[in-house]
Amino acid sequence: MVMACRVINKRRHMGLQQLSSFAGTGRTFLGPLKLSKFIIDAECHESVLISSTVRLLESLDLTSAVGQLLNEAVQAQNNTYKTGTSTLLFLIGAWSSAAEECLHLGVPISLIVSAMSEGLNSCIEEVVSLQVPVYNVFDQIDNTKTFSGLETSSVSLCPFLQIPSDSDLQKEHDLKDVASPSLTFYNLSGIPVRSPKLFRSQAEVEADKNTLQNPQSLQNSLLTGSRYGKSILIHSRHFNRTDNQWINKPDGFLEQHGGATPSTYRCSDLVELEMGLSHGDHHSMKLVDEAVRLQYQNASMQQGSCMMPFRFDISRIFTCCLPGVPESFSCVCPGFITVISISNTTLVKELQNQPIRILLIEGDLTEKYRHLGFNKATNINTVLESMRVQQDTTEELWTNYVLQVLIKFNVNLVLVQGNVSEHLTEKCIHSKRLVLGSVNSCVMQAFAEASGAVPVTYITQVNEDCVGSGVSVTFWRSIPSDVIDRINVITIVIKMEGINLVTVVLTSPVTAQMQTKEDRFWTCAYRLYYALKEQKVFLGGGAVEFLCLSHLQILAEQSLSKRNYVCSGWLPNTSSWLASSLALYRSTVLKCLANGWHKYLSTLIYNTASCSSEFEASTFIQQRLQNATDSGSPSSYILNEYSKLNSGIFNSGISNKLEQIPSIYDVVIPKTEAWRRALDLVLLVLQTDSEIITGLGHRQLNSQETEGFLFL
Amino acid sequence: MSRLEAKKPSLCKSEPLTSEKVRATLCVLKGILTSSYGPSGRLKQVHSGLGGCVCTTSQSSALLSNLPVTHPILKILTTSTKNHVSCFSDCGLFTAILCCNLIENVQRTGLTPTTVIKLNQHLLRLCTHYLKSESCGCRIPVDFSSPQTLLCLVRSVVTSKPACMLTREETDHISALVLKAFLLTIPENTKDRLILGKSIIVPLKGHRVLDSTVLPGILIEVSEVQLMKILPIKKSDAFKVALFCSSLSGDLSDTGEGTVVVSSGVCLENAVLEQLLNLGRQLVSDHVDLVMCQKVIHPSLKQFLSMHRVIAIDRVGVALMEPLSKVTGTQPIGSLGSISPSSYGSVKDLCPAKFGFKHFLHLIPNEATICSLLLSNRSDTAWDELKLTCQTALHVLQLTIKEPCVLLGGGCTETHLAAYIRHKTCNEPESILRDNGCTQTELQLLTEAFCRALESVAGSLEHDGGEVLTDMKYGHCWSSQAESPSVVNWPDLLSRCGCGLCNSQEELRWSFLKTTQHPIAPQTCLPHEAIGSSNNLTLDCFTAKLSGLQVAVETANLILDLSYVIEDKN
Repeated sequence: MVMACRVINKRRHMGLQQLSSFAGTGRTFLGPLKLSKFIIDAECHESVLISSTVRLLESLDLTSAVGQLLNEAVQAQNNTYKTGTSTLLFLIGAWSSAAEECLHLGVPISLIVSAMSEGLNSCIEEVVSLQVPVYNVFDQIDNTKTFSGLETSSVSLCPFLQIPSDSDLQKEHDLKDVASPSLTFYNLSGIPVRSPKLFRSQAEVEADKNTLQNPQSLQNSLLTGSRYGKSILIHSRHFNRTDNQWINKPDGFLEQHGGATPSTYRCSDLVELEMGLSHGDHHSMKLVDEAVRLQYQNASMQQGSCMMPFRFDISRIFTCCLPGVPESFSCVCPGFITVISISNTTLVKELQNQPIRILLIEGDLTEKYRHLGFNKATNINTVLESMRVQQDTTEELWTNYVLQVLIKFNVNLVLVQGNVSEHLTEKCIHSKRLVLGSVNSCVMQAFAEASGAVPVTYITQVNEDCVGSGVSVTFWRSIPSDVIDRINVITIVIKMEGINLVTVVLTSPVTAQMQTKEDRFWTCAYRLYYALKEQKVFLGGGAVEFLCLSHLQILAEQSLSKRNYVCSGWLPNTSSWLASSLALYRSTVLKCLANGWHKYLSTLIYNTASCSSEFEASTFIQQRLQNATDSGSPSSYILNEYSKLNSGIFNSGISNKLEQIPSIYDVVIPKTEAWRRALDLVLLVLQTDSEIITGLGHRQLNSQETEGFLFL
Repeated sequence: MSRLEAKKPSLCKSEPLTSEKVRATLCVLKGILTSSYGPSGRLKQVHSGLGGCVCTTSQSSALLSNLPVTHPILKILTTSTKNHVSCFSDCGLFTAILCCNLIENVQRTGLTPTTVIKLNQHLLRLCTHYLKSESCGCRIPVDFSSPQTLLCLVRSVVTSKPACMLTREETDHISALVLKAFLLTIPENTKDRLILGKSIIVPLKGHRVLDSTVLPGILIEVSEVQLMKILPIKKSDAFKVALFCSSLSGDLSDTGEGTVVVSSGVCLENAVLEQLLNLGRQLVSDHVDLVMCQKVIHPSLKQFLSMHRVIAIDRVGVALMEPLSKVTGTQPIGSLGSISPSSYGSVKDLCPAKFGFKHFLHLIPNEATICSLLLSNRSDTAWDELKLTCQTALHVLQLTIKEPCVLLGGGCTETHLAAYIRHKTCNEPESILRDNGCTQTELQLLTEAFCRALESVAGSLEHDGGEVLTDMKYGHCWSSQAESPSVVNWPDLLSRCGCGLCNSQEELRWSFLKTTQHPIAPQTCLPHEAIGSSNNLTLDCFTAKLSGLQVAVETANLILDLSYVIEDKN
């Protein structure tokens, strides 16, 4: 065994360069309009369509040490929060370039580390002022005002809200659409999807005006709009009434005053919250909304008069994917909907319309299955003592035994978490019993709770107490039979009174998009889950990032003017010379960090296709930033600017009904944690100076690679 | 057909240290270690090169255990450092760097090994004697009535591991938690001997560092499904507990070699299960409330127990066995035969708990000296580092309770000690010369090598090209930026010394560490008003550092004494 050690940090920092090149691949996933990618395996010519960071990293070769760390960071974010991975990946890229820039400028590594983490922490403290509390959204839950209801009303209020008719821009969009079908969002009602973003470049404002003045182009854009489901911008309504409402307090925090009666700024409407968190994916959010409502109804029915505060339980939502079915059939239903083979049709016919008894099996339902941790002894031989020939195999004996038990306890439905012996399934069909394998654990849990069934591992464990009752099985016919017959399966729904389980049926005519659809649904669901759990959201659409950017720029300016301003608390070792020279470099480091935000925002704008080039987007932000800094108080200036921008565009048509335009929200902790995670990874790699490769022989390194390696 | 191969002759190399290759590899190893040292040390990515997990670390324990070094000399060095770390957790890098420095410096003097070893040992005795004496100027007594010193000690350990990726707020939080966890392991009423309990670190990866917490008692992770089966837990004053260390999964894993022949119709599995159920019946008739098993419990036995309102928890894991047995007073049961009533123990209370997405069963014992430290950090690699760091900090606190004093950190102990040794050998050389039978020049040469080695360790704390200085009064370690203007107002440029005890505004004189040091008599009494008031000192564990010093000198002596390496090539 030889240890090899490679110095990776001599002149150029290889680790940081690797990070930014890995992160570059996910650039187009930033923002609400995600361009899909085809990943093609050059060897077996298989390809997958992906449109999220997590799926991208699953298909990339990340065997290098830095790649591993990157994958680990993204996986950790995804496992904990299920959202924020694109932000994470992008910021990793942006900040690793920023750190590299600092190295070029000769800033000592320890100072980059302390100034950057200080800067980000200061940003996180600063954006608290853009938090919106979420209160009692379930108090006024109103069935007449559902998610889709609001959608139509808001659209009818602003019928001119269509895409800019700038012809160059249009061409590019069309090209993009052709290149990547998943860019197009089809919406139930044919309503164009609006991309939630605060920024809007002057060109578009002009374009909008043109659209208004020119009926011909309006018509054109309407046509294209309905064909492609174009992206349209929408602005937060809260900025529209802010002219005199936002007062900058001396401590820099914003407080809202609503004329004579100061109203607390908060979000207490579920639909508004969902709209804001949908980030343009109204289709998925509509399903989430329905699921939440079903859960809420179920909870209020169960509890009767003594109302516990309702908690959105994301673990009791189950998704059922039906590829090959038109998208408009996506829906949400109480109970468990699943797909079974067409051979079960007669069985289901006989079972429906009667309460049946249910059995839940953990693990597999096969003869060979043993529970986890059971080690089968290999050296046991069974010998026959008499010459009596055994007629049945053990498999046959076991199957018969299982059937006997099912008959004895009058069980007609068996849900199995693992696999089921095919032979047994067939036998059960003959005796009018339905056995379903590979059932999700959340479904098992829900049925256990509702029916009183106790999950068992072995069929021998079954007794009267384990069997649940009151379950019903029927065909699920929300999808017309001619559609479903084409895909050669039948869908059934298994329900029972009071079960806390909601199935979301996701459909897509394009099989390759099924995974994306499911991912997007869960992203929306988790966004709502965290917003409700934390009871607060950020004002979204780039507002927080813009505030971070301007805040950092101001901090950088301040530390330039006040050289001897000592803030050494960020260094672990306060007595080191680094503490006293931090002031010298702070402004440089903070500027580099701010550049990361700048890149983030311009990519966001460019990705949402409101600027024709990243350069244009960057100039636009630069302009806004200059104005914001000139005003002296960026946060209130930003808000005022947006309100002006909004009124300039929208007021002519909807001046008195601004309430109907939904705001854009972001989740708080998942977002700030993604920022921290991104910076953590960059700083971790920045501080790494060598790579120690263990268990590697000399021979395994070919001659070119050996260069730069040291052996012990 | 057997084949016989002639044995290869053994390879014998003389004077291994003079070989260029050995020097080069020693230099590489020293480079790895010194670049990792201290709070601004650089990190190392340790991985197998074949994918799999990447460990980013700057800790000696993680680094050395992953370094498969080949040369016997390096092996001696890493092994003795690893031994030191396994006993004291802290000061591993200090030990290894000091050892490397000593070897390098002594080789340059060209003295004979015998003289070197004798003198090194003498100087080591001087050091240990001084560090243990009352007049020691780099030692602070620990005041257990206030948490300040202990908190500083923990914080110094935590900040010296940059791969934990903690912000200042998080460092404070973790330091306070570690100290709290340690205090929870101290029994409330002790008779004659103090027996410390244990802090169990429970992983909660992926969450915020500030979500970390400490709880008295033991947390056992259970799946949600399992927890649902247990709930609701019936109320009771005390729960009778049985703890199994043998598997109750009902398999026949110990059939030994050979083949077991069974006649058809006999089912061994059922026979074992019947035995398990008999065991279950005994547990029920003995009124046991809680059954825990290190390994797996057969589902049928679990069902049987839960039918009789007995809570069954399996797959507890080997790590929890000792604390569980201690807390509940149970004797772990290793057989399926009958259970002696003395094996049972009890807990005060049981309750479910949820942290993040994980569900736990919280065992609250009658007399708690066991606590659970739930640690979270954003990434796996940072979590692993944080876990090691917390273990080190807890161990350091335990060592400090045995020897209630701490040493100054931030390089100050090293420079102060070097100044003391220089002063001592310069002013009182007679006894040393008489004892060791060497000349004045030899003593001077070796003292310089020894003190330089110590000072270089302090200098290794600097990684960004700064200068390291020492003052002429206390002999503490100071740092300043490189290329300072020639006429400089030192008190303004420097603020505090490495450990944070001395202020530059006192009337002090400084000299660069790399220049020739003139022997000074370091002030042995500490500015005591500073100790009380300052809550931001950098401190080191006394016992660990003392042992590190001894191990480094002894190992260097051993390596310098090597004259042949004989390698068996077969």
